[in-house]
Amino acid sequence: MGKNQNSMVRRCPRLGNPVSFDYCEVSGDHQQPCFKIVDCWWERFDVVQYLQDNLPEDQFIRLMQARPKPKVASLIELIEQAKGRTS
Amino acid sequence: MKQKKVFLTEDEMPRQWYNILADIKMNPPLGPDGNPVTPEQLAPVFPMNLIEQEVSTERWIDIPEGILEVLNIWRPSPLIRAYALEKALDTPARIYYKYEGVSPPGSHKPNTAVAQAYYNKEFGIKKLTTETGAGQWGSALAFACSQYGLECKVFMVRISFDQKPYRKSMMQTWGANCVASPSSETKAGRAILEKDPDTPGSLGIAISEAVEAAVTDESGQTRYSLGSVLNHVMLHQTIIGLEAKKQLEKIGEYPDIVIGCAGGGSNFAGLAFPFAHDKINGKDVAIYPVEPTACPTMTRAPFAYDHGDTAGYTPLLPMHSLGHTFVPPPLHAGGLRYHGMAPTVSQLIVDGIMAPRAFGQVATYEAGILCARTEGVIAAPETNHALACVIDEAKKAKEEGKEKVILFNWSGHGLIDLAAYDKYLSGQLQDFDFPAEDIKEAEKVLEQYPKPEIIKNI
Repeated sequence: MGKNQNSMVRRCPRLGNPVSFDYCEVSGDHQQPCFKIVDCWWERFDVVQYLQDNLPEDQFIRLMQARPKPKVASLIELIEQAKGRTS
Repeated sequence: MKQKKVFLTEDEMPRQWYNILADIKMNPPLGPDGNPVTPEQLAPVFPMNLIEQEVSTERWIDIPEGILEVLNIWRPSPLIRAYALEKALDTPARIYYKYEGVSPPGSHKPNTAVAQAYYNKEFGIKKLTTETGAGQWGSALAFACSQYGLECKVFMVRISFDQKPYRKSMMQTWGANCVASPSSETKAGRAILEKDPDTPGSLGIAISEAVEAAVTDESGQTRYSLGSVLNHVMLHQTIIGLEAKKQLEKIGEYPDIVIGCAGGGSNFAGLAFPFAHDKINGKDVAIYPVEPTACPTMTRAPFAYDHGDTAGYTPLLPMHSLGHTFVPPPLHAGGLRYHGMAPTVSQLIVDGIMAPRAFGQVATYEAGILCARTEGVIAAPETNHALACVIDEAKKAKEEGKEKVILFNWSGHGLIDLAAYDKYLSGQLQDFDFPAEDIKEAEKVLEQYPKPEIIKNI
């Protein structure tokens, strides 16, 4: 992460408090970039170019193609995962 | 002295919620396997009485006395005429707001937290778990659980836990057990901590922990609670709009414009759905959910490579001027990408009942400061989005010389969010204008990116 981007802070609409760009880079699933990282940072710099330059190609493509998961479906997934972890 | 506030007596509180699902067609929610979700699949996290509400298509649903008896700690909330704001704007518009900051935790969130705690208690549940970011939802649920004698466990994202100690204190004061997430109390949390003990956490991890804590309680007496997006959450919030309608009727008014900020959609839906019902039945009322230009869910960013329909997506260059209002072309259903937005709100946008608006952050804080210095109340940062839209519409009314009635939801106060005001007042917040040549360059880059398959909802 470059120095300029690292110094940037914005309000995270999901959390409701300020976060820096480097938080957004690790706050997604499996500590990868948040699925909203492009939406949230496009005003500040060319975040798409930055991600393309800094992520492995497959990870970059996955992030670009990330689909919103309906809440109910994601809850059911989480229930199954929780059962799996503790069985 | 002019009448500034319109009150309802406790006897006049609405006795039923309005369920928008009676008036719009929605596809049933699908599970990860692509099949419609069954109540049994959700039973590990929600009590069956709430699952029934989630899928109900009854238009009016009774509010139990046991809920009204807690809601009346602060409800009915006042409807307030913003005379001082009107004067500052020199507008012919009459501006009213429904003030939800009077609740004990300071926002609209307990309208559903109280209902959810009640229904869980009725179902025999002893403990609720949830996740929270900055703590608005966590503190609402902590308050609600304390009213019904339920245990409450809140997994608060570590970065927020460290930044917002007073929210944690509120939750603890109401008797909740608030822990930083990831925690050592769940397998999900321990796995993350083993890899990175200094992780700042994330909402995804906190949700996993809260769900795990509910699902793995062998006594079967723990459930999970969610404060946004779901249908029953929107339902419980409609008490806001139903009260507002009664209050406006008392003074012979009806809104031309209804405005609310829309993150997950719940405070907006709470005010707007009863008016959407009127609009569906022929009333002429404009309804605007408002969001930031950055991180949009309902409108779209010029750089949002994957928001658009593949056919006919035109970048908003001529209209795009950061820090000012822009009204993007409507999303068609194929391009829906409403991360975290209530499906019912999304559907009403697609149906043309509501029209989303977006404002830059400087405009929203300017609005917040103006309202604090006129109406006296310091708004929550998300409420500032609604305020920016109200001011924009009031100025339009002046330009048009029309006496419009504007109603908006003041969803909460900002007394625990003053750090954001501090940044604005010290000049650290700014909007960002991209030079046209940079935008063109970015567009070339965007052309190379993979296009996602279009999601067809209707």
